[in-house]
Amino acid sequence: MSNITAQQILDVLSEAKVVKDANALINDKPLAEQGIDSLDFSGVLFNIEEAFKVTIPDADIDGLKTINDIVSYVNNKK
Amino acid sequence: MIGLAQIGCYIPEKKISNLTLLDKFETDEVFIRDKIGVVQRARKEPEEKASDLCIKAYDNLLSKQSIELEEIKCCVVVTQNPDFNIPHTAAIVHGELGLSEDCASFDISLGCSGYVYALSIVTAFMQANGMEKGLLFTADPYSDIIDESDKNTALIFGDAGTVTLLDVNAQLKPLAFDFGTKGSGYKNLINSDKLYMNGRAVFNFSAATVPVSINKLLDKLDLSKNQIDRWYLHQGSKYIVDTITNRLDINKETVIFDMYEYGNTVSSSIPLLLSKDISKFQKGQKVALSGFGVGLSWASTILGKY
Repeated sequence: MSNITAQQILDVLSEAKVVKDANALINDKPLAEQGIDSLDFSGVLFNIEEAFKVTIPDADIDGLKTINDIVSYVNNKK
Repeated sequence: MIGLAQIGCYIPEKKISNLTLLDKFETDEVFIRDKIGVVQRARKEPEEKASDLCIKAYDNLLSKQSIELEEIKCCVVVTQNPDFNIPHTAAIVHGELGLSEDCASFDISLGCSGYVYALSIVTAFMQANGMEKGLLFTADPYSDIIDESDKNTALIFGDAGTVTLLDVNAQLKPLAFDFGTKGSGYKNLINSDKLYMNGRAVFNFSAATVPVSINKLLDKLDLSKNQIDRWYLHQGSKYIVDTITNRLDINKETVIFDMYEYGNTVSSSIPLLLSKDISKFQKGQKVALSGFGVGLSWASTILGKY
């Protein structure tokens, strides 16, 4: 299966309605510093799990701070 | 068929403000208001028990509707924080109210799905046994089990009690139900010493399960979402209510949210909301109810006004 892209993660963020314009997010900046709080992040993870059919254990969450982190993580899991 | 006639409520006057805890939990007012949705939590007095909340809810019911005690043939309490392990709290309520000896009384041990479950259990029980009037109480005082230093639970739960008068002549009736359990997840919301909640796991469960349950129910009744006039989802947090609303793709204006001033009251959350509207429903209207949480368990129903 082909690797996912940052744009696909942005699409998920957009669908989760956690920010007004997901495409304005910076890929290598922590999402927590771009207005996405802990509850929003739970929602984002839920949508990512659903969209890409992966399971993200609680223990892995600390390593997922940026969009780039998420892209690498999901691609390694697939 | 048995229906819902009237609802009495009790929310303790004493409140604990979450806005005084912003520094302690390193959070801010926007998060408290817009995400958790609980600005203050209703708090019973330490010596008050579940039965006391039930009796006070009954007093409120009496202010709305006259009741002949000897006509009540069924007294049920939904709680997981009973006065005692033995006896059942419904027996205590029965005694305090002075209900007649031919009135059946029992507890139902369920959390946030409890009210909807109980509507099915109690209406079916009454129907099967020819009972015309019954009282369905909810009271789950979580303040007795909360760890005040735990951010995952300390900002959310409040105390309350409700009582629903079920009556064979009432015109608001359940049309169908959907139930389910994900018992493999029971450790995610559990009281062993103090209450523990894995917020992410409970959120995932709720976001994944509730829309499916409601859609199944709509299919069963051959209804579309826009035929539902109002939605009463368990008030777990504002974030979960908003998430389910988005996933169901329903009009936000029809989804009731009202927990800012008292918190998540577990099995009391849905009847607290319904109590404000029950006298206003018009003939032909339909409303959806869904409770979800402890278990992990869920129950949904659609009520129709005849």
